[in-house]
Amino acid sequence: MKKYLNKFLFLLTTVLVLGGCSEDFLEDPQPAGVVSEDVVFNSREGVEAYISGIHRRARGQFTSGHDAGGINSVYFARSAKGNDVIIGTSWFSFDYDQDNREPTYRRTVFTWEFSYFMINQANTLINGVEASEALSPEDKADLKGQGLALRAFYYFQLAQEFQLTYTNDPSAPAPPIYLELSLEGHPMSTLEEMYSLIVSDLTEAIDGLDASRLDKSYINKSVAQGILARVYQVMENWQGAEEMAHAAWTAYGSTVEAALAPETYDNGFNEMNESPEWMWAMPQYEDQTMYYFSAPHAQADHSNTSYYNAYVNDEFVNRFSDTDVRKLFYHAYNVGPTDYRYWVTSKFIFDNFGTDVPLMRTAEMILIEAEALYHQGQVEEAHELLYQLQVNRDPQAVKSANTGSALFEEILVERRKELYMEFGVEWFDARRLERGITRTGNHRIFKNLEPNDRRFFLKIPQAEIDANDAIDDSVNANR
Amino acid sequence: MKQKLSGILTVLLLLVVQIGFAQQKMITGTVVDSEGLPLPGVNVLIQNTNRGTQTDFEGNYSIQASEGERLVFSYVGFETASMVVGNISRINVTLAPDAAELEEVVVVAYGTQSKRSLVGSVVSLGEETLEQQQLTSVTSAIQGNVPGVAMVMSGGQPGENPTIRIRGIGSINASSEPLIIVDGAPFNGNINSISADQIESMNVLKDAASTALYGSRGANGVIVITTKRGSLNTAPTIRLTAVGGFSTPAVETHEVLGTNQYMQWAWEARRNTNIANGQNSATAGQNAATGLIPALGYNPYDVAQPVDAEGNIVPGANLLWETDWEDEMLRDAALRQEYGLNLSGGSERTRYFLSANYLEQEGTVKESNFERITTRLNLESEVKDWLKLGLNTSFSKSEQNYPAQSGTSYQSAIQWIYGVSSVYPLYRRGEDGSLITDSAGDPIYDYGATGGQTLNAVRPIFGNENAVGSLYNYINLNNRTNFNANGFATITFTDYLSFTTNLSYEEYMFDGFVYANNEVGYASNVGGRINQDRDITRTLNFVNSLNFDKSFGDHTVAADVIMESMQSEFDVFGAAGEGFLPNVTNLSGRTSPTGASGYIAEERLVGYMGRLSYSFADRYFVEGSYRRDGSTRFSSDTRWGDFFSVGASWVISDEIFLQDNEYLTYLKLKGSYGELGNNRGIGYFPYVQAFNTGWNQGTNTGVLLGGVTDPNLTWETSQITNIGLDFAFLNNRIEGSVEWFDKESVDLLYDQPLPMSTGNDAITTNVGSIANQGWEFMIRTRNIVSRDFTWTTMFNFDMVDNEITELTQESFISGTKRWEEGRSLYEFYIQEWAGVDPADGRGMWYRDVLDANGDPTGERTITKQYSQATRYYVGESLPDINGGFSTDFRYKNFDLNALFNFSFGAQVYDSSYASLMSGFETVGYQQSPDLAARWQEPGDITDVPLLLASQNDHTSTSTRFLFDNDYVRLKAITLGYNLPQNVVESVGMDRFRVYLRGDNLWTWQSHSGIDPEQSLAGTTNNRSYIMKTVSLGLNIEL
Repeated sequence: MKKYLNKFLFLLTTVLVLGGCSEDFLEDPQPAGVVSEDVVFNSREGVEAYISGIHRRARGQFTSGHDAGGINSVYFARSAKGNDVIIGTSWFSFDYDQDNREPTYRRTVFTWEFSYFMINQANTLINGVEASEALSPEDKADLKGQGLALRAFYYFQLAQEFQLTYTNDPSAPAPPIYLELSLEGHPMSTLEEMYSLIVSDLTEAIDGLDASRLDKSYINKSVAQGILARVYQVMENWQGAEEMAHAAWTAYGSTVEAALAPETYDNGFNEMNESPEWMWAMPQYEDQTMYYFSAPHAQADHSNTSYYNAYVNDEFVNRFSDTDVRKLFYHAYNVGPTDYRYWVTSKFIFDNFGTDVPLMRTAEMILIEAEALYHQGQVEEAHELLYQLQVNRDPQAVKSANTGSALFEEILVERRKELYMEFGVEWFDARRLERGITRTGNHRIFKNLEPNDRRFFLKIPQAEIDANDAIDDSVNANR
Repeated sequence: MKQKLSGILTVLLLLVVQIGFAQQKMITGTVVDSEGLPLPGVNVLIQNTNRGTQTDFEGNYSIQASEGERLVFSYVGFETASMVVGNISRINVTLAPDAAELEEVVVVAYGTQSKRSLVGSVVSLGEETLEQQQLTSVTSAIQGNVPGVAMVMSGGQPGENPTIRIRGIGSINASSEPLIIVDGAPFNGNINSISADQIESMNVLKDAASTALYGSRGANGVIVITTKRGSLNTAPTIRLTAVGGFSTPAVETHEVLGTNQYMQWAWEARRNTNIANGQNSATAGQNAATGLIPALGYNPYDVAQPVDAEGNIVPGANLLWETDWEDEMLRDAALRQEYGLNLSGGSERTRYFLSANYLEQEGTVKESNFERITTRLNLESEVKDWLKLGLNTSFSKSEQNYPAQSGTSYQSAIQWIYGVSSVYPLYRRGEDGSLITDSAGDPIYDYGATGGQTLNAVRPIFGNENAVGSLYNYINLNNRTNFNANGFATITFTDYLSFTTNLSYEEYMFDGFVYANNEVGYASNVGGRINQDRDITRTLNFVNSLNFDKSFGDHTVAADVIMESMQSEFDVFGAAGEGFLPNVTNLSGRTSPTGASGYIAEERLVGYMGRLSYSFADRYFVEGSYRRDGSTRFSSDTRWGDFFSVGASWVISDEIFLQDNEYLTYLKLKGSYGELGNNRGIGYFPYVQAFNTGWNQGTNTGVLLGGVTDPNLTWETSQITNIGLDFAFLNNRIEGSVEWFDKESVDLLYDQPLPMSTGNDAITTNVGSIANQGWEFMIRTRNIVSRDFTWTTMFNFDMVDNEITELTQESFISGTKRWEEGRSLYEFYIQEWAGVDPADGRGMWYRDVLDANGDPTGERTITKQYSQATRYYVGESLPDINGGFSTDFRYKNFDLNALFNFSFGAQVYDSSYASLMSGFETVGYQQSPDLAARWQEPGDITDVPLLLASQNDHTSTSTRFLFDNDYVRLKAITLGYNLPQNVVESVGMDRFRVYLRGDNLWTWQSHSGIDPEQSLAGTTNNRSYIMKTVSLGLNIEL
């Protein structure tokens, strides 16, 4: 026994030594592929990386459905609900059918969850920048401004998707408001509260931002102004809308002609740097792509492999003159004029997975300004601005003789012709103006929306009700 | 071949010293048990030499021995006998059963114990049980053989492993998988890398006393696998196995519609929708007829409008095609073949086991298969009296072709069969329906995305895909390589004190390769895509233990002090590229590299433990153990957890008052209590709140805030009580056990749902507790035992109740379940279907009547608006009773063995059937012939609503598709024949066995169309079908 005692002692020592080191042994591994809050908020580069991540997430696959990923899918679902666009039997067909709004349906859950996911990121960004001691005041104003504009942008989407328009009843219940990370659910707010937050966020953002940015997928002063112009348009604050829209588009050219590039209109709407018209976009890259989630391109293009699922209303096509650069319609299928597949458009070309998606263009701002001028009684100025855009799109355009409400209607039609399939312009206008949508022409499904139809908004997701103590089932009563 | 074999034999024989001596004579004889039955495999050893042999299958042996030498006969479960060689050359021996065969040694945590002294709950599956089935994944053998274990087999893709839950579901979000230990070290690879013929025993450790030493990882039970080792003093034995056979799906699939019927009903659905939209009946019918082909996008007939305004197929319309997707997608007969070669033996001090096994099995879905080569060498040597060294090594390589066959990806095979109507062609068609061929004249798979063609071009569902084409045009390969080396040394200081050190290293490489075609399918617009991942898991496990075991008269004391450290690394690397030339399927051929990723995640664990046991008179046993663990998965403040167990047992039958009982042979009462931990299934750093990298925007680096975390996250703990009674009657003719357990998991690692509006949908935290309580019953009987005929049976079952005992909030909705105190985790909480309104054919659901305060009054009413329907508890996906029985006949050289498993009382929600019954809601989806019972006109009494070609809630989750899921399955049956020993020996073999074997040959189920084994949650996922297999096998021993 004795001769083994040394061996034994040696082994025992080994064990004890190992034991003594165990705390160090356990401290050694560190998480892989992550960075801490300090790294993010201690430099401008860190915060910019975070902002980049947020923009990247906004254009990613979010659920399994190819009609629910990225803000572009929310936009395209709005397009699907109108009269100018016809949707085939694949993705977005339930939106086209006007009934994709129940508490468990994908549209409902996605729009809610995605918007709030982005809002939580924006809140973290805003609060992190505010608390940072390493950033200069200028950097803080700029970086926080980007966060505020993002937050306002997503609250603006929620306000539109989950209640009737602001002017109908500002006291109507709207989704909950969060300004910081919370583990507790908040109760429903009102449209009044929500719009007040949206306006104050955007106003502060515009103050802090300038023209610079990393690329067109980021928010600078003009983009924030553009968002606020849309908000004021919905709130019918025409003076504000005029001011914001004008400031927004003139950042891209001092005249209408300079701010537009008609020669790029038929380029396929898939390259954000190609045209000065593009103010804000979701870029795609072959190695950073949302693949077939890329609505509208993956839905509307009938010349490259994708869903071949969006068509254009015969009557809408007839609104375009032959010399209009925007008349990009053709017959892809050998069917008669009453068939819904009669017309397709080559506005959006999906020839690779690097197809950029437009979020905001100068043309929209010009038309917002025209509309705002009209509402403020500056009818002639409005008409002239409208005509400048029309003649830019169609060199042979003749200024109309419209006055009064006919001119207003002309502006609205111009918006549709200019912006169809981009952000659901028809739906956006019908909602805010408390009009219905009547389907005419060669539609596949004729379902009309009455003014302030409930089908203009979604029910509150069941999963939210189940997990949120401050919201119960009654929230969906009469929705 | 034969020459080669003998060459190998010669070499091996040289390795093992086998020197004969002069002046010896041949002694022969037979070894039988007390009932006269021959005992095969008895070790016959000449005392104080290294010469030995084993009895053959009929109990015969022969050995060279000199007069005066002593022959020692030893066999597990029997008392050792010895005889001195005299002048006669035939020595027959009868071995007496060892103080009941309960002296059997069982592998437990960090060591072995005699079965008699066990205080915990352990079920041991030996070689003979494993041999009775065709096991592609070895843990499948537990099903039906071990009470208290819930198993769900994994579908029709061979090489996938079953889901195993020991004694209920002990966790919600953390892993509930049992820990798997192979030869003393935790196994982190894929268990499909081990072949069944390398395994000596597989033990299922169920209670705290058995698993406490695995402390931090033992909460969900432990499966201890011990590989074969060879025996000392045994001549080399070669064992060859060959099994080959064919498989088909074990149960019938759901029936689907043919084209004619499909077209007529699709018309009806469209007409109904038109009427609902305000058209009159005639217009609605006319519009439905004209709109049908444009809606489908395809016309499988030779007339332009095949359905008339009354919904009939127009006279003279002929089908141009009618695709039977099941036929195109599934195999008629999938091949399975397995070959094994084992060599084992030992000299006086060294023993060895060498094995090689080859398996090839095709899956249910065409092109799916699994091919594996696995080898093992186990070597153990008593170098000195005080030092034993050993090394177990294994290497395994497998290749699995795994076309998508579950889930909702477009290629998913079963989804495609149930999703795509026969209206859609397999191959591309022109607008006139004619077959389009490529330049070589071959048909082209139709991907339903042909641009510029009006008809037969764009499929409204699963566009740009063809799941049959994807089997051939895409590649989905899983290559796995597993290397394992496990070295150990035992130093024996005295007969009661020893020290063992065990160092094991495992490297498991998973290589996943996905190729999407450059010309067709989802990556065709970028010229094809390859994603390749090479993930390596390296685990180093180091265990040192000091063991003390000493008897003082009637007192026996054993003590162990053990220290363990574990270090595991998950080394991930992946790359992707796009843009390939035709037939180029390697990454280097890409035009653009589109992805590269890689990181190393690491985890460590340190554990200190001790075990103390005491027994008196081999009749009273007490045992206690304690373990303290630190894990990197928790923060430094919360990472240490303390775990323990205590247990005792009492062999009542040895008490004086029972000793002479003529019926009762053995009776033991045992009980244990312990607390164990769980830290698995929650990721590597679940407590760290951080920003994830990789969210780049173009060339700008991007990070994104990860989900919200709980920095104080700590161990989930299971409190386990076990009480059991082991018994044997009538001289062990009847033996069995009854056990009761209560397992409560507290401080669950749980993803507590958060309102989505907070921007996080859940936070992983320690919340709540769940309890699993149950009874387990097992009985084995030896009904007939005679020289020529034996019949034995086994029957076992368990009844386990799952109950949520604490939640921090009133309830959580989790998919089709709602979790609330007092309910099971797996109770369905869904809308209740109230049938079809005979007036208008619309579906109805129940709804609570609410009082003024919004509380239910207890009354129910019916609603046609699904969103208003109330959800109710309507059944559970866990069975009330689950078990198995087997029967084993042996008549002379024939044997017949059958194993059944069964489950009663569970419910399953069949979403495949729901989709088939969706009533043409989405155009183009395949439908079920059961729609024949649909509502058609006012007054129809039926449970199937009217057909509607627009979005509706008729197939939204409700009890309409919740079915009883009782089943009995003939899991394995074997008919075997052993060639008579004299014949076998005359050709120089030890054993020759041929058998016919069937797996899953017969299934009775209360809901047909899907396999009864779907998932613990009772939900379906378009999974491919479990296979039944018929094989012919051959075993030869040399």
